[in-house]
Amino acid sequence: MIKSLLFKYQEKRQLLIAVFGALLGITFLISSVHYLNKINEYGEDSEILGKNTLIIQKKVTSASSLGLTKTEFTEKEISKIKTESFIEDVKPVLSNNFRVWFETNDPYVPTFKSDVFIQAVSKDFLDVKSDKWHWKEGERFVPMIMPRDFLVMLNTFMNASGIPQISDELAMKLKFRLRISDGQKEEWVDTRIIGFTNEIASILVPENFMEYATKKFAQGDPGKITQIMVAGKEGQFGKLEKFMNDHGIESKNSQVLVGRLKSIVGTLFAVILVISIIAVFASCLVFIQYIQLLLSHNKYEVRTLLRLGMDPKTIVGTFFRYFISVFFFVFITGFVFFLVLKFFVDQTFLTGGIYLNDSISTFAIFSILLTFLIFAAVSFRTAKREVFSLFNR
Amino acid sequence: MQIEFKNVIPKPLAEIEHYSESLWNRYVIFQSGKGIILNASSGKGKTTFVYSLLGLRSDFSGEILIENKNTKFFTESDWVELRQRKIAVVFQDLQLFHQLTIEQNLKLKAEFTGTFDRDSAFEKVAFLGLRDKWDQKCGILSMGQQQRVAIVRALIQPFEWLVMDEPFSHLDKGNSELCLQLINQRCKQLNAGFILTALDKKVDVKVDYEVKL
Repeated sequence: MIKSLLFKYQEKRQLLIAVFGALLGITFLISSVHYLNKINEYGEDSEILGKNTLIIQKKVTSASSLGLTKTEFTEKEISKIKTESFIEDVKPVLSNNFRVWFETNDPYVPTFKSDVFIQAVSKDFLDVKSDKWHWKEGERFVPMIMPRDFLVMLNTFMNASGIPQISDELAMKLKFRLRISDGQKEEWVDTRIIGFTNEIASILVPENFMEYATKKFAQGDPGKITQIMVAGKEGQFGKLEKFMNDHGIESKNSQVLVGRLKSIVGTLFAVILVISIIAVFASCLVFIQYIQLLLSHNKYEVRTLLRLGMDPKTIVGTFFRYFISVFFFVFITGFVFFLVLKFFVDQTFLTGGIYLNDSISTFAIFSILLTFLIFAAVSFRTAKREVFSLFNR
Repeated sequence: MQIEFKNVIPKPLAEIEHYSESLWNRYVIFQSGKGIILNASSGKGKTTFVYSLLGLRSDFSGEILIENKNTKFFTESDWVELRQRKIAVVFQDLQLFHQLTIEQNLKLKAEFTGTFDRDSAFEKVAFLGLRDKWDQKCGILSMGQQQRVAIVRALIQPFEWLVMDEPFSHLDKGNSELCLQLINQRCKQLNAGFILTALDKKVDVKVDYEVKL
């Protein structure tokens, strides 16, 4: 009875506008938060390089081939890159300055031996578990990360030799050996593959091992820094790419493509996020106005109930429960719309060759819950203020 | 429940000259269980008295004490308790819900305290000649009929004081007497007092004392 009394005079049209606005806002809010999160996560699991990390080098031109320009990075150049606003961190990539052979050392695999290049990068840039990625002098096994192309080459050799090819998992179980030399003395260490990468063309070893080997076997001057690792700031890949173009710097194409894709799609969803926040904010204002209007139209009823002795908290509770049920409808419907939208957007990404993990982003769930709480708190506060303004009047 | 008015003077009435025996700006006690009539001409503050007592107005100087507690320090729950269980009111403008039936109006009020007794309420309504109007919306009743519904609504709640602001203004002598009979009966039952405001004319009500405004 109280409910029918308090909601007798309703501007249904305004309520519909508020519901429609909130529905659109919520749908796009959850969608944009979800996809922003997914785009940022894209490629993180599959690779060993950290987030937004690139290995860059100077472009090799005819002039550099003739020795007219240099392809190594000077300390000054590295310091300058470090100061750029879009750069999170910069570290040199250490390359071997001695001879290295990679060879099989397992009774189940035929002998294979090849000259290789090894490199070491700061642990800060690698997304590998630290318990696997360590070495100190005297330890038997040196962990290494193998370029996937190298395994393809190894399998080509296996195939040609009539031996079954090996998978990633099997390769990680096999024993290998690294032989290092300065032309006079020679040393070998056992090594195990702990992972593969598409992003780096050489074999990665821990920094400690590289320092040890360089100290012991390096020939002449210390190795020149021809590659550096840069970690760009979130969502600022465009600036990094422009900097690279302006300074004749390049990176592995796939890294650039992924970075560019993440940057463009991320920007797009960031724009949608801003628009949806505005829509949600505007619909929240319309709801506030609607609550005020509702109470103003039903002022006589509310005031009379208060004069007769009804507890104002009961009246606030009646309005609050009503709006919570409206919000519940809006948020559930918005979530269903998001699921439908997600199905089509994921299909579109998949058609374009991008597989996004299909779980719903925790941030998206959090954003919808937070928005619901904000709506609930705002409606409660408005109803309370309006009802209590009529108390003792 | 004792009510005290200590030098209370509503701001809008501060400039008006009052009788020496007026309630305003004096110390007046409303002793519990008594029948009191508040007599005044129009504009002397009868409704202001009711509103001030119920906490609907606070624009006065002086103090109103209810059970020795200054109403200026009443909390919201104090006012709710007062209006639900201690003071029942018949407002001058009745404050009925026109879209609700007589039964719904009565039920709504008594539901605050969980004391709605349909048979008892119907009996009172029937006693006041509204038996066949029980299911009718109050909006279509005459002013006199509405006044009787408002009186029954006040009577069916628990109270220690019944405050009535010109409750018989639209009633003929016969209906007024029936209402008074019901009021006296209920006040006696609850051992409660009543305060009845009336215009400067004789109202045939048996009271313990009269207060002027």
